[in-house]
Order: sequence, then C-alpha cells, then structure tokens
Amino acid sequence: MGLLTILKKMKQKEREMRLLMLGLDNAGKTTILKRFTGEDVGTISPTLGFNIKTLEHRGFKLNIWDVGGQKSLRSYWRNYFESTDGLVWVVDSADRLRLEDCRHELSTLLLEERLAGATLLVFANKQDLPGALSKEAIREALALDEIKTHHWCILDCSALTGHNLLAGMDWLLDDIDARIFTSD
Amino acid sequence: SWESSQTESTTTNTKMLGYIWHYFYSSFLRYIQKWLIRQVTGTCELQRICSGYQPGAARTTRAEYSLRSSKSKVLRGALETSKDNLGQSVDQVMKEKSIKPEKDPQFKERFHICLLQITGYGSLYASVEDLRTVTFSSDNPKHEAMLFKLWDLLMPAVKLESRITKQWGDIGFQGDDPKTDFRGMGLLGLINLVFFSENYTMEAQQVLSHANHPKLGYSYAIVGINLTEMAYSLLKSGALKPHFYNTVQGWPELQHFHQLYCYLAYEFDKFWVAEEPESIMHFNQYREKFHNIVKAHLQDPDVSLTLTVSSGN
Repeated sequence: MGLLTILKKMKQKEREMRLLMLGLDNAGKTTILKRFTGEDVGTISPTLGFNIKTLEHRGFKLNIWDVGGQKSLRSYWRNYFESTDGLVWVVDSADRLRLEDCRHELSTLLLEERLAGATLLVFANKQDLPGALSKEAIREALALDEIKTHHWCILDCSALTGHNLLAGMDWLLDDIDARIFTSD
Repeated sequence: SWESSQTESTTTNTKMLGYIWHYFYSSFLRYIQKWLIRQVTGTCELQRICSGYQPGAARTTRAEYSLRSSKSKVLRGALETSKDNLGQSVDQVMKEKSIKPEKDPQFKERFHICLLQITGYGSLYASVEDLRTVTFSSDNPKHEAMLFKLWDLLMPAVKLESRITKQWGDIGFQGDDPKTDFRGMGLLGLINLVFFSENYTMEAQQVLSHANHPKLGYSYAIVGINLTEMAYSLLKSGALKPHFYNTVQGWPELQHFHQLYCYLAYEFDKFWVAEEPESIMHFNQYREKFHNIVKAHLQDPDVSLTLTVSSGN
C-alpha cells in the first residue's frame, strides 16, 4: 500500500459521518431512510431492532442508523449513541396525543453524555396529512428554543412525498462538516 | 499476478461463451431441436411436458416457460387469460398446435390444470395486493371487529378493558392503539394474524407464549406483520410459484396465501427459539437468515411450505 493510498484512506475515514435517527414509533424513520436510498416506501412494516444504510452524499459517506421507536425498544437506544455525529429526531406531526411523550423522550436524549457533541435535526414529518401541526407548533411543543447544548434545526417535511428531506440532510451535513472537518 | 489475470480472462471467456451459447440455443437450437423431436415423436413440446413430468411445479413450471418463449401469439396469450375464458384458451392452444384429443386423451385436462395454476398465481397476487392496499380504519366496524376477534382468539381468558389500552402490547402491538402498526401491509396484515389464530388456535397461542418470554421474547403482532411482508414480497417476485404449483392443483385462492403465512409464523417462531438471539434488537439479522432459509426451500422443485403440526408440545 502506497503513501497516497494511506492518505486517501484516512481522508475517506475523516469524511465519514454517523447519523442516528430516533423518534417515537410510527414517526416515519424507516420511510425517510428508504426515501434516501430510493427503495419502495409503500410496503414498510414496523421496525423491530434497527436498520442501517450506508450512502454517499456530497462526498460524505453517511452511515445512517434507524432504530425502532416502540416503547419496549427505547431502552436499547443507548447502545447506538457512541460516536454519533448527527441526531435526526423524527416527529409524526399529526400525532397530537403523544407530543408530550415525544418532548419527554427528546429532552432525556439530549442529557446523554455520549450525544453531547451531536448536531440535532428535527423533522416535523407527515406534513402531507390533513391534521398535521406546523413546524412552529412542533417547535413550541418540544420546547426546542430551550436547547442550548446542541446545534439544532427544525424542518417540516413529508417522507411520503420527499419534501424537504434533502434540505434537512444538507443542513445537518453542513453543520457537522463545519464543526468537525473544517474547524482545524 | 499473471496467472491470476489469466484465470480471470479464462473465466470471462467461459462466461462469454455461456452467453453466446444461451443466445444461440434459445434463438435457434431450441427450435430446431423441438422441430426434430416433433418430426420423430409426432408430439409438441407442451404434450411432452404434460405427459413426461409429474403434476405440480415440475410440469407447470416447464409449461409456463414453454408458453412464454413461444413464437405463437395464441400460446403467449394463454398466459393472460381470465379464469372464465380458460377452457376456450385451452381449445385454442390445442387447435394451434394441432393436438388431437383422440391421440392424446389426457392432454386437455392436464394442460387445463397447468393453465389454472399459472394464471391463478397472477390473480392471487392481484387479490393479495387489493387487501394490502386497504388501510386499517377505526371507523370501519368490520376492521374493528377483526381486531377484537384477534384479541379474543389469543387471549380468551383476559377481557380487553377498552379499545385504546396498553393491553394490546400483550399480543405484541407497539402502542395502545394497533391501528398504526398495520402500515404498508394494510388489512392483509390483520387478516393473516386472525387467520392463523382462528385456524391454528393452539399453535398461535403457543407461539404467543414464546413471544412473551421475558428473555427470548419478541413482539408477536409486529413480527407477524413483518412476516406478512415477507410472504407478500415472495409472492410478488414469483418465488412462491413452485410452492403453489405443488400444493394447489388448480386455481389458488386467498386462503392458500393465508396458509403460507401460517407456515411462516409457526416456522419463524421455531427458528427464533432455536437460535436464541441476544435480544430483539437483532431481529432484522435473524429475519434475513430465516428469509434465506425459506428462499433455499423454494429452490427445491418439490417444495411444499405447509404447516405440519407436531403433536406433543
């Protein structure tokens, strides 16, 4: 292996990002993931355990972890925190009844030491549904403005139509890129 | 490295020759060969398939291939026939190939069954797809009744306290309202769950008790919906053809698809218990392993994925 290859390998490694996608069950995490990879989003069933996909975007190698959100699985979330660069929190904007549950889970996550350095992107998903709350309403319900520990951003989106998914991902990559790769 | 590149180029050459041979065979040789045999034996390929192979996948898969690669529009068209016109289609094929019933008295019935199986498979997929695209609705009394029936079959000794309740978790739904769990599988997922519990009540309850094991457990209903997805994708890809050709000597119905689901639900449970996974978080890995086992079974021309209940557990 030549020096150039080693350097290239190191560079590749540097350009790798680990993204963790969490949220309550039925938020749309797997649908978002499958949208990114161009798979069929019409035949998804509830996630048990996790899905992982690796994809290339803008020269970054993204390892996206999508972990099941049902209550009995949430205690396992912590197994996936290590070396997370970006946290994608997915919200079902039409699920008004569980917004408090959603706020509580997110605020608990943000106290985690191993997620301390991660950038937070909140997807106010399911904007295609008639009863969906706006991103402002979600921002308020989740008390996002109180977050001082993490860089964060909220975007309204629809995993079904693909609306704003790329915009969200681009913001996340830019923020992580600025923090990690270009700061030194 | 010279040697390895030589081996590589030899493999490429062999592959290339394979492609050329395949092209040559399917475009010319196959027809010459068929024509020659026809001159010698006086029978066409379909007749030889129907008399030379056992009923089931061995015969029907070959008949399907023969029809699909035929140069005759009548033969290819037979694959698209609706159930009502099937008899007519059989007659047309016999006329086209000059098959005389008095010379080959068994052909008509045998070929008819093949055609029922071939076109029935496509129709079965359409029916399954229809059910899958029906979204579970709490406003539909029939859907709601099915959900309550599932509970009563699985938990006959426990009364459901209300429609929205944490109790749904006891049969493996995610939250306190199962309606969002059906997702991409729609009503099909619920019907499969109910079918298994209704027709194999003892087995379903036994599987549920394994699923509720404190260490080796898994979410019964959610895994069931995932297995419906597996059954659906196998059906869609055509992988289930040999199974249905072997097990249904005629037109396959929805209940045959539900039966296949029962096989998967029962066998997956056995597999999971035997594998002793570390936790539910490894579900996808074991699901994939199980999927590969099922696909390997489907490579066997004699495959029959039928739930056989072993007595004594």
